[in-house]
Amino acid sequence: MNDSKWDDRTIAAASSSVIIIGALLYYWAGEVQSTIELLELAYGSLKFFNNPMVF
Amino acid sequence: MLSSFLSNYRNVASLAFIVLAVVLVEFFEVRAAIYPSLLPFFEWLKYSSWIGYLGITYGSVYATVQAGHLISMAIIGGTVLVTDLRLLGVLLKNIPSETITKGTHQCFKYSLSVSIATGIFCAAGVADKVYYMPVFWIKMLALLAGSGFMFFIKQPLLNSRPHSEIGPWTLRMLAVASIFIWFTVAATGRWIGFS
Repeated sequence: MNDSKWDDRTIAAASSSVIIIGALLYYWAGEVQSTIELLELAYGSLKFFNNPMVF
Repeated sequence: MLSSFLSNYRNVASLAFIVLAVVLVEFFEVRAAIYPSLLPFFEWLKYSSWIGYLGITYGSVYATVQAGHLISMAIIGGTVLVTDLRLLGVLLKNIPSETITKGTHQCFKYSLSVSIATGIFCAAGVADKVYYMPVFWIKMLALLAGSGFMFFIKQPLLNSRPHSEIGPWTLRMLAVASIFIWFTVAATGRWIGFS
């Protein structure tokens, strides 16, 4: 490991980036999942195509 | 040994402290305990403050300020995209990334100030509504995290040395995290508008 590259600021930047990306992926994946559950509740099963409610 | 670590790795120690504080706040349900006590403030903001009065009474004033909010958000989005797509090597490759990051940051700072000031006004007009919206609190959290990330993590690193001396994967992760968090601020903002 090169000390000049992995200094305080670089470690803080890399770790905070990983935390932010991980937290936001978790949040948006949860939103997608709840949206799919709502669609299934509304239409019985999730059909993007051949949906009887959409002509 | 601890004092030497804290002096050499001040940013890492601060980040670890913030993460630990967030975990403790959630674990001991501090957020849930504080939440009900915020309602009187939001009710005061809408019904008793002069900005709430202006927003409720004069639709034209509310619309004008909201236009300023949207324009400042658009400028934030533009500066973030230009900076981060340059860091990812997607656009403006003939201009040094140091020039772009320094140039756009000034614009970002002014736009963020305008968007926060106008955002407080816009929220005051519908304060009793947004208080009950989880997405409003997600936006505030994303705004706080994005601002902290920009001013205390990303910009200090990018200004500290030529970008060629920073690891390419560190730069890419910074750019992706930045785009993702400001996308979330914008998306949750529009979500509030459509709720």
